[in-house]
Amino acid sequence: MLRSQDRSYTRADTWLLLGCLVFGGIALFLPARWGYDLAGALRGSVLSPLVWLQERAEEGRTSRSRFRAVTAQRDSVALAAQTLPILRAENSRLRQLLGLAGRLHTPYVAAEVLHQPTATDGRVLLLNVGQRDGVRVFDPVVAPEGLIGLVTEVTPRTAVAMTWANPEFRISAYTADGGAFGIIAPGSAATASETELELRGVPYRDSIPSGTVVLSSGLGGVYPKGIPVGTIVGITSEQRGWERVYRLRPAANPSAAAHVLVLTSPRDTAVVAAFPSDSILRAVAADSARRQAQADSVLRARLADSILAALRDSTARAAAATAAGNTTSAGSTAAAGRPTPGGNAAVGRPAPAPAPTSPPATSRPPAAQAPRPAAPAHRDSATVARPAAPRPAPSQPAAPSGARALEPGATIGAPPAQMRSDTVVRRVRRDTARTGRRDTIPGTPR
Amino acid sequence: MTPRTTRANRWQLVLVLALLVVLQFYVRPRLWSARISPDFLMVALVFFAMRSRPGAGAVAGFVVGLVVDAMTPARFGAGIIAHTLVGYLAAWSRAVFFADNVLVNAGFIAAAVWLRDLVLLGVSGVDGTRLLTELTVYAPLQALTTALFGVLVLVAFREWFSIRLDA
Repeated sequence: MLRSQDRSYTRADTWLLLGCLVFGGIALFLPARWGYDLAGALRGSVLSPLVWLQERAEEGRTSRSRFRAVTAQRDSVALAAQTLPILRAENSRLRQLLGLAGRLHTPYVAAEVLHQPTATDGRVLLLNVGQRDGVRVFDPVVAPEGLIGLVTEVTPRTAVAMTWANPEFRISAYTADGGAFGIIAPGSAATASETELELRGVPYRDSIPSGTVVLSSGLGGVYPKGIPVGTIVGITSEQRGWERVYRLRPAANPSAAAHVLVLTSPRDTAVVAAFPSDSILRAVAADSARRQAQADSVLRARLADSILAALRDSTARAAAATAAGNTTSAGSTAAAGRPTPGGNAAVGRPAPAPAPTSPPATSRPPAAQAPRPAAPAHRDSATVARPAAPRPAPSQPAAPSGARALEPGATIGAPPAQMRSDTVVRRVRRDTARTGRRDTIPGTPR
Repeated sequence: MTPRTTRANRWQLVLVLALLVVLQFYVRPRLWSARISPDFLMVALVFFAMRSRPGAGAVAGFVVGLVVDAMTPARFGAGIIAHTLVGYLAAWSRAVFFADNVLVNAGFIAAAVWLRDLVLLGVSGVDGTRLLTELTVYAPLQALTTALFGVLVLVAFREWFSIRLDA
């Protein structure tokens, strides 16, 4: 039994409960607009410290998530930067291979080399093309620099190629000046390393200077005529009065080949014009590097624009935070996650046009359309005839880039339009003057 | 208990409640999912109601509900009614049959959170599948986490709360 004082406490408590419930019910059935106004007034007055606390907490959580995102982005960029040199090298090599494919007149099949981590990887290569792609046994395998080997086994989907490093490898060859013929074989272990070739059977009376390019002769019906095999670097041995054996630096490295071309029939056509001189190859590499540098400049411009936009964003946010003052919790918290005008949205804007640079080589008029002399057989001396080709007027429309880098049918006598820069001309002339070769291959048109 | 001791305990209680309020608005947004993270305001309300009469508990619940409604403008007034009922019932049940036991305290806090959610959702007009999901999944999880945190606070500040824990 409760005492009277306890009952008064109970009644007071009950009245307090009823009063609170009545006020709660009134608040519940108030018009929504009034409820929002009342809540806003509370947030802006007595609850402002709590709103401030919650804002700080939200800022901390947002900063932490942003920090994680920036860290992940930085790690991704660092990882991409590590693979950039590899990608550049592969890009350059693919450009060269694309150019070779455009210059070849014979049918070919592009293949990817599936390297195996074995010690004999350089001797035998596994290609990802087979009978379904038209590859047959004894099809030559070439790289942009020169000969890789020939196909020895074919399955429906794959093929095995024997490279010049294989001890079984042989090829009939001749020097680029047509002065000497011989048989090329891998260097014997006693006289040379496995990374060198030997030109055997050269008559003693034929002296070949160092630096002479040796090409496939086309004899034997396996290799087309004109595939670069290597360059003379010295004499291995000589039998006085009988023959000389020369050491060759191979033109192509099978261990480094990632993409190759498998030449299918016919094999009796000459492919001399498809393999330009070293100077042309250097010019192509320089052009590729110039394109890459141009692309990098565009990327740098975009990055600078993004940084400026981010700085503008932070400045605008700071100004907005200063001006906001006693903003409400919900509004301020939501505003923290919204992009401010001219802020983050500016990051996505297209970068301004990069600084004007020299026009890319691909935009130059196609020189291949102009009349030009027939393709000479000699590789470097043919560049002498190049200035005679009339250069189209600059007002001609630009051709699409990429495929015109080295057009099909383009010869050494008239380098593709892409390489018609002063640098290329200077390099070709210098190379020609240094070698001082002549068109001496018999039977080839001048 | 001397008046000086009573005054000291009152200030200690205010300090702990203030700490819980700061945790609610500064730490809770940084925690994991807000649906299941502990409700520090409910802990403060229950601890206050345990030391007060039912009327004072109802008023405290009214204030807490007003704060909740002002900070979460979904249905103004629903939080007031829910917290008022919880505050009153917490104080009333503490006076009638509540025992000084850790597990009973934890269950008491969990029941308070679940009842708050029940009344809040009912008054707000939530029904159907969402009401069932809230009451069977999220409300029990939040009640569990809140009860665990409440036990931690009880153990840490049992001297200040003048609560005799048997277990």
